[in-house]
Amino acid sequence: MIFEPLQLGPLTLKNRVVRSSVGGRWDNYDGSGTEVRINWELKFARAGVGAIIASNAPIHARGGILPGYALIDSDARIPFWRELGRRVHEHDCAYILQVNHAGRERILPGLTYRTGLSSTDEPEPLNGFPCERMTVEQIREVVGMYAAGARRAREAGLDGVEVAGANGMMPTQFLSSAINDRKDEYGGSLENRARFGLEVVRAVRAAVGPDFCIGYKISVEERLNELLPWLKRGNSVAESVQMCRWLEQAGVDYLHISAGAGFPHPRNPAGRFPAAEVVKTYDTLLSSGRHTFRNYLAFRTWPLSRIFAWWWQRPGRRLGIEGINLTAARAVKQAVSVPVLCTGGFQTASVIERAIGAGDCDGVTIARPLVANPDLVRHFEAGLDRPPRPCTYCNKCLFNFVENPLGCYEEARFDSREEMLAQIFSVYEPSETVAA
Amino acid sequence: MSEALLQPLEFRNLTVKNRILRSNLSGRFDHYDGTGTQARINWELKFARGGVGAIVSSWCGVHRRGFIVPGYASIETDDRIPFWRELGRRVHEHGCPYILQLAFGGRQRDINGVEFERGWSSTDKPDPLHGFQCERMTKSQIAEVTDAFAEGARRAREAGLDGVEIHGANGYVFTQFLSSAINDRDDEYGGSLENRARFLLETVRAIRERVGDDFHLQVKLSTTEYGNALMPWAKKGNTIEDSVQVARWVEEAGADAIHVSSGNTFPHPDNPAGSFSAKDVVATYDVMLSSGIHTFRNYLLFRTWPFSRILERRSSRSPDEIEGANLRDAAAVKRAVSIPVLCTGGFQRASTIDEAIGRGDCDAVTIGRALIATPDLVRHFEAGGNEPPNPCTYCNKCLYAVLESPLGCYDERRYGTREEMLAEILSVYHDEPAAVTP
Repeated sequence: MIFEPLQLGPLTLKNRVVRSSVGGRWDNYDGSGTEVRINWELKFARAGVGAIIASNAPIHARGGILPGYALIDSDARIPFWRELGRRVHEHDCAYILQVNHAGRERILPGLTYRTGLSSTDEPEPLNGFPCERMTVEQIREVVGMYAAGARRAREAGLDGVEVAGANGMMPTQFLSSAINDRKDEYGGSLENRARFGLEVVRAVRAAVGPDFCIGYKISVEERLNELLPWLKRGNSVAESVQMCRWLEQAGVDYLHISAGAGFPHPRNPAGRFPAAEVVKTYDTLLSSGRHTFRNYLAFRTWPLSRIFAWWWQRPGRRLGIEGINLTAARAVKQAVSVPVLCTGGFQTASVIERAIGAGDCDGVTIARPLVANPDLVRHFEAGLDRPPRPCTYCNKCLFNFVENPLGCYEEARFDSREEMLAQIFSVYEPSETVAA
Repeated sequence: MSEALLQPLEFRNLTVKNRILRSNLSGRFDHYDGTGTQARINWELKFARGGVGAIVSSWCGVHRRGFIVPGYASIETDDRIPFWRELGRRVHEHGCPYILQLAFGGRQRDINGVEFERGWSSTDKPDPLHGFQCERMTKSQIAEVTDAFAEGARRAREAGLDGVEIHGANGYVFTQFLSSAINDRDDEYGGSLENRARFLLETVRAIRERVGDDFHLQVKLSTTEYGNALMPWAKKGNTIEDSVQVARWVEEAGADAIHVSSGNTFPHPDNPAGSFSAKDVVATYDVMLSSGIHTFRNYLLFRTWPFSRILERRSSRSPDEIEGANLRDAAAVKRAVSIPVLCTGGFQRASTIDEAIGRGDCDAVTIGRALIATPDLVRHFEAGGNEPPNPCTYCNKCLYAVLESPLGCYDERRYGTREEMLAEILSVYHDEPAAVTP
């Protein structure tokens, strides 16, 4: 099943393994792209994945999570994405741009916009990033930015767009009953909370026409209370499934199942909480949020760090990491007729085969195991069930990327630390061709 | 007005069109691994366009083990040459020579990065301010770094650049050897001044041998170390008398110019002299927390009154003691050597510069912060102005922003609006002329 083509609306993928949205701070502070991002994507394109979903591309500087990510906020960005798409296409790999507005869900606000926008004016709960409650007029503006970002992706010759509706990004901030506290037509009932995401999809469809692939990523299990026990749980699975039905009606070509109404979240990426690693790079955030100093002290301090790590690892222990979202995917798949992609720790061919065979999903998207083994698909082609050095879900990749180049930081997977560093630094080769 | 400073200056192997050089200024414009980017070229072009006589590059690492922070373009391998060649070509289009500053950090660093925990130094004692840990260099490591400097110089020449500067000042590896406050060795690289200067002089000679006699080579020295400026219990370190002797030896070893700075650390209350605002420091110091063994202590001190206030007092210099603060040292060096002497330290008034050159304190000045604020400072002088309409305030926010944000002038008072300030800062990412105000 893994190697059967997959149809996502107008787009055909050569197989069922998709690189999920993951990328480092490869670009310039102002959001202009660099050769390094192209090198990063080529690692996966070359190694046989059916498609790549870009790491989030902000549709506006205020919607960025942290500096160093290429934006899609103006037509001036199109040539960079066109070049990236061209290079990825050379490997018969489709490229889907993830259009994103992070709202209040940020890591380093940067210089330009100190406060984010959101459905609410309550700060993001983990780090305490302040935000403004959007007016209806601001909502219209942001909806228009998604449409413009999608139009640019099409003009750049890319193969589709995915609305980043999961993981606490702006559409989650509207959809989630744990976050949205509005009294107007964008808050209250599920229908009202869904309005923003559906308007985005309709606006994107109107901008790109009927023959361009549009996906939507959704956190079916929101469970904010698994991140911090004093938070509300958020939407039920039934509510998320209803949203998926509406999304299908609004014109999406596929749904992409994730978890958690915030990022990071114990279900995404599920795995270890490497406190020592977190302390090393979390320091950068200290001056950014209201709760960051509290968190930093907690992460540094035994036994708080142990307690938090234990708490973080609970869902993964209980549910298993690989395929943690399959139950949610199945619930969606039974309710819609568009294809369903599922993310969550996949790296075993038989697990993926079974998931697709059982009708839990139509394809899988993978981030960490591909960071560890960009050639995962080649291993599957060669008949292996798992790569010889699988991803350990240590999450060190995730907690390094704020300060250091994204890559696999699990020393146990390499013969030496030097070998690990060489793998991490390989993203800089070949080095940038400076424009003459 | 503006007579001496607009005259050309002839070094033995290089002529510059006026007496104002852009001093070394960094900015994390490049990739983590030390490959250069277009943003660095754009950055340098701001100053080349603004009419400076020459540019001394940013801090450029000659050897990976000497890196101080990720994001600075390096010259550690031949692969880096094409980048520097392209940068040089673009800067030369403005009639501006480009001098590559060759550097090795030792125990003085900003962010460890993932590649190595301990720098190489004269000593194995961590740097006292942040607590960056280090190893005491063996003789073979000293030889390896000496060779890396020579190779860096060779690459600079192959890249078509116009000269090199050995960063022998401001607390980096050569200061760590030169300084009586830091060097605690008992081999031939420690003890007497002659021994402490050995590594630097060997490096000057190694470069000379590698690149020949006809390539510009200058050496930057902290002529007074003021080692106790921040912490009164610390040792003072080398005096101007020591440094005058070092300057003589550097000349004998084959250098073409001496560049005078001060302070045996970077940053240091006397370099860049100006304001120390604990609030601004706290905003970016967080990124250093995991790098040094004293950083968490410092972070708490910077955040906490009255410690923050005491630090501000000890670290701040009032504006009237900033411009030309190193001139007395420069004059002492100038009397002792026959090669040109460059002096850095807050210069931005034509009259101050003219008088200094006229008195023979120095032959030219180098400028960092005041050029960040006013990249076309020389154009103001050419038009007869004594100082730019909107001078640098020595607030040092540029310096404190650099670890997390693009280098630029962050003094909001100098702009109409914050948006205008941000547009100016982010303009480094656009390869086009910045707005010049003649």
